[in-house]
Amino acid sequence: MSTMGAAGEEPSVTPRRSKRTEILENRPVNLDGFVEEWPEVGMVAMDSPYDPQPSVRVENGVVVEMDGRTREEFDFLDQFIADHAIDAEAAERAMALSAIEIAHMLVDPKVSRDEVLAVSSGLTPAKLLEVVKTMNVVEIMMAMQKMRARRTPANQAHSTSARDNPVQVVADAAEAALRGFRELETTLGVVRYAPLVAIALQVGAQAARPGVLTQCALEEATELELGMRGITGYAETISVYGTEPVFCDGDDTPWSKAFLASAYASRGIKMRFTSGTGSEVQMGNAQGKSMLYLEIRCVLVTKGAGVQGLQNGSISCIGVPGAVPAGIRAVAAENLVASMVGLECASGNDQSFSHSDMRRTARLMPQLLAGTDFVCSGYSSVPNYDNMFAGSNLDCEDYDDWNVIQRDLQVDGALRHVPEDEILAARNRAARALQGVFAHLDLPSITDREIEAVTYSHGSEDLPFRDVLEDLKGAQSVMDRGITGLDIVKGLEAGGFADIAESLLGVLRQRVSGDLLHTSAILTPELTTLSAVNDPNDYAGPGTGYRPTGARWEEMKRLRHVVSARNPEEEVG
Amino acid sequence: MTPIELDPQRDYPLASNRPELLRTPTGKRLDEITMQAVLAGEVAAEDLRIAPDTLRLQAQIAESAGRAQLGENFRRAAELTALPDEKVLAIYNALRPQASTEQELLDIAEELERDYSAPLCGRLVREAADVYERRDILAG
Repeated sequence: MSTMGAAGEEPSVTPRRSKRTEILENRPVNLDGFVEEWPEVGMVAMDSPYDPQPSVRVENGVVVEMDGRTREEFDFLDQFIADHAIDAEAAERAMALSAIEIAHMLVDPKVSRDEVLAVSSGLTPAKLLEVVKTMNVVEIMMAMQKMRARRTPANQAHSTSARDNPVQVVADAAEAALRGFRELETTLGVVRYAPLVAIALQVGAQAARPGVLTQCALEEATELELGMRGITGYAETISVYGTEPVFCDGDDTPWSKAFLASAYASRGIKMRFTSGTGSEVQMGNAQGKSMLYLEIRCVLVTKGAGVQGLQNGSISCIGVPGAVPAGIRAVAAENLVASMVGLECASGNDQSFSHSDMRRTARLMPQLLAGTDFVCSGYSSVPNYDNMFAGSNLDCEDYDDWNVIQRDLQVDGALRHVPEDEILAARNRAARALQGVFAHLDLPSITDREIEAVTYSHGSEDLPFRDVLEDLKGAQSVMDRGITGLDIVKGLEAGGFADIAESLLGVLRQRVSGDLLHTSAILTPELTTLSAVNDPNDYAGPGTGYRPTGARWEEMKRLRHVVSARNPEEEVG
Repeated sequence: MTPIELDPQRDYPLASNRPELLRTPTGKRLDEITMQAVLAGEVAAEDLRIAPDTLRLQAQIAESAGRAQLGENFRRAAELTALPDEKVLAIYNALRPQASTEQELLDIAEELERDYSAPLCGRLVREAADVYERRDILAG
């Protein structure tokens, strides 16, 4: 803008900086990106001047006006929400309550979860936004503690490999299951590897502590096919977006996604949708609306489609709300909105967003302390370099920190410390089980050397290279030969792993009953379904609801190093 | 099927509390899906699917638990159990934006209603045809 160095001026020098500034400059948090708000393009967390004002008008049981738009002006999200998500009978009475009154209902433990649901079923997107805008982070957490659907919190892990190595995935899946995760998700670097990696995930998930449900994040149609075959156990990467152009860019509409939801249920397969703040601005068409307003539309599309739950909390777009003021508050609020309309919430804390350990921990607190259906979705069970979802906010190097935080605060993040000998045994056995399955299915062999390496490895760099071309041929043959979950069961049995075979058959048998299709369903290690139907959140203030006690609390007290109080030389584990 | 009154508190999960109500689409009971039967080749992939009647029982449970939309989804799903996998995928792809003309969608709806006794799914597709026309996201 300006030019320097006119005749007679002093030459410019860098102003002297303090030593403290230098130290602060070098803190990891200053590697993070921060940006000022720009509402015109939607670069604003939860308070855009262009967000609509709440309104509703119902005629003959039909919503004819919503948030300032008449039916003729509705875009396809408005129409889907008005016709499928909002209870027209409840709408006018619910909308007559002030946002503050509704927010008070959310935080007041004397008002039951069901009473809130009766009101929220009649609220429009703009009204839901107005309600959460009145709440600070602590109030959002208080509300989440009550509104979470399932009483018992759970957790989900990513299990991926930078080399798409199925031997790594089977071992890390087994370890993650042993550590307490109830869902495992994988994805690929090379998509054609998917069948082998999905088989590995499924075997690992049942190898050490059974009942873990698995999924493989792929393009919608392929993901459905693996699910139909029983190679995966549930699905999550069914994305929805908050504006019509971005929804269309994702090659879907609320109707195609609702149909897909029914397709999954028709095969007895659990599924949830995925959405998150920031996706619309990242995809360049937020229509000037705040990230949270658009996300609330996604939440209601999910509800209207009759899907039991939603993965949200910005997810792969976390860098966007993370960069603007109140962005992480908005992320906590979007989780709450999912829970307050009665959906399962798998609450993010997945893609990495900060270089600062303090900041990534702070970002986790609202979900960990309040408890959600899945605190992370997911927690990386592999080192950062192996995480094919572009890293996670938490990874396997944080296991001990997580366990200590659980114990410090007596908060159940659904994980536990496991002694090394048990972990090594589980990793080794899982890899041997996969060796047997691959042999039975005539897939590229797994060597004893690979098994030895993966037992003691940290990541893919510690493992021998596999013959990728042979693996890809094998993966193709899984699809061509129509291999199903039942073939994996037979392979496990043939390989001498009868207990793992029995567990996998038990998981597959769940499809027949459909119990897992209900809100917030997980399987216990005993293969019993736990969902919002038979384990509903009953929080009603101090002394009520889920609190870690008894055997679970004893388990949470164990860490890698705990010394005897009587003899500090002795470790009690 | 004779109407069965289900109480979510008492009857759910159906696999443990009301197994006598459950059948695979091939008519097997849950306790017939054993490892022995798998190894004897008596269990096929089709046995590990959900039957339409079961989905309607789960719809009842969802509705009794106050989840109307979830119940509706299960009722659409019950209809879709009759469709082969490829057909399901084809209809999903046809519902994507700019993928079908209005007539193509209406033909699918009619096929669902006529050939598969799937009126709820038919209605969803008809609704899509109507909205897609208004929002200009039909093919062509």
